Amino acid sequence: MPKGQNRKKGIISAAIFIILEVAALNMLSCTNGLQGIWVKRLVYRPLSVLWRGGESVRGYFLLKGQNERLAAENFALSEQLRKAVQSSQASTQFRRDNMLHIPARIVRMSRNSQHNYIILDKGAADGVAPFSGVISDKGVVGIIDVVDEHYSYGLTLMNSAVQVSARLGREGLVAPLSWDGMHSDGALLTSVPLHYEACPGDTVYTSGYSSIFPSDIALGTVQSSGTNHGAMGEVRLKLFQDFSLLKYVTIVRNLDKQVIDSLSAHGEGALK
Amino acid sequence: MRKPQFWLYYILLVAAQIVIAASLNFSPLVTFWYLPMLVLCMPIRLGTSLTLIIAFVTGLAVDFLSQGVLGLTAASLLPVAFTKNLIIRLVFGSEVFSRGEDISVRRQGIPKMAIAIVMVTAIFLLVFIAADGAGTRPFLFNLGRFSLSLLAGSVFSLILVSIFDPGESSRWK
Repeated sequence: MPKGQNRKKGIISAAIFIILEVAALNMLSCTNGLQGIWVKRLVYRPLSVLWRGGESVRGYFLLKGQNERLAAENFALSEQLRKAVQSSQASTQFRRDNMLHIPARIVRMSRNSQHNYIILDKGAADGVAPFSGVISDKGVVGIIDVVDEHYSYGLTLMNSAVQVSARLGREGLVAPLSWDGMHSDGALLTSVPLHYEACPGDTVYTSGYSSIFPSDIALGTVQSSGTNHGAMGEVRLKLFQDFSLLKYVTIVRNLDKQVIDSLSAHGEGALK
Repeated sequence: MRKPQFWLYYILLVAAQIVIAASLNFSPLVTFWYLPMLVLCMPIRLGTSLTLIIAFVTGLAVDFLSQGVLGLTAASLLPVAFTKNLIIRLVFGSEVFSRGEDISVRRQGIPKMAIAIVMVTAIFLLVFIAADGAGTRPFLFNLGRFSLSLLAGSVFSLILVSIFDPGESSRWK
C-alpha cells in the first residue's frame, strides 16, 4: 500500500478515535455526576495551561503599552514632587527654578564607542532646545546637541566630550564629572585638589552651576580616590544610572538659559 | 475459525461479559474483563476505523445492558482498538500484516499472545480504573485494583483465546 494512503488512513483512524472517545466521555460525564467532574477536570487542566500561556503572550505584547503608561505616570508624579519641593523651598529660600520638563523615549542609543550618542523621540515641536539636559530618575544621562522637529540628538555622559558640573555631598567641593571611558556606570570626578579627601560611599550631586541641569540630582557614589599624574586628585564614582538599562528619560530645558548665558558673556567681556 | 464463526463467538462472549460485569462483583479490587482480548482478536483486515466503531458499539452495549456507567467501557475500549495494530506490530511483527493472517494462539504461540493480552488489558484497565474512580479513590487502591484485575483479566482472556482459537482455519494453515 502506498505510504500516502497509509498516512491518510492513519489520520482518518485518529479522527474517528478522537470523535468516539469524546462522545464516550461526554456520555460518561452526562450520566454520572462524579465522572462528569472528573472529565471536566481532565479537559480543563490542559485548557488552563493553554489559557495561561495565551495570557502570558498577551501580557508580553501589552508590556510596551504598560511601560509607556507607567513612564507617563512616573513623570507626572516626579513633576508633582518637584513642584512640591520647589514650593516648600520657595517659602524659605526664595529660590526660583525655571525648568521645563519633557518626558521622552529613547529611540536609539550607542554604548560601544568613546563618543556615544542618544536620539530621543521629542523635538523642537515639543519644546526641546539645544543644550537642554537629559536626566532620568537615577541621574544625568546627557546633553541635547541637535534638535529636529520631532526628534533630538544628544551626547550621553558616556561620551568623552561631555562634562557635568558635580558636587561632592550636599555642600562639598564642586568639580567636573566625566565618563571613565570603560564602564556603563562608571565616572570620574577630575581636578579635585590633592588635599581634599573624598570618603567612599559619599553621594555626588549636580552642582546647579551650569545652566543645563538642575541642582541636587543624585549622580552616584564615591568608590575610590587617587591622583592624576600627581598633579590633581581624581575621584572614581559608581553612577546610579546604568546606561545599559535606559529606556525612558526626561529632557530638562532651562527657560532662563539665554538670560544666564548673556549675563555670563557680559561679565566675561567686562573682565577683558 | 471462519469469519462468521468468529463474530458468533464474539457476540456470545460479549453477552457473557455483560453478565459477568453485571453480576460477578465479589470484590471491588477484582474485575474480569476480557473485552480487550476480543478487540485484539478482531480480523486485521477490518482496519482500525471499523475496529474503533465496533469497539465503541460493544462498549456501549456492555455499559447499557450491565447497567453500568454509560460510556465507561466504551471510553476504555477505544484506546485498545486504536493501539491494536501497534501492539500487534510490536509483539508479533509486521509480517502478520503482510500475510494478512489473524491473531491466534496456534500461530503466534502462548508467550507472545500472553504479552499482547497483558498489554491491551493494561491499556483498558488504566482508562477504566481512572474513569471509574474519578479521582476519588486513593492511589494504592487503584494500583491494587489494576494489578489484580490485570492478572485476573489476562489469565481469563488467555484461557478463552486458547479455547476459541480463531486461527484454526486461517488461509496460512
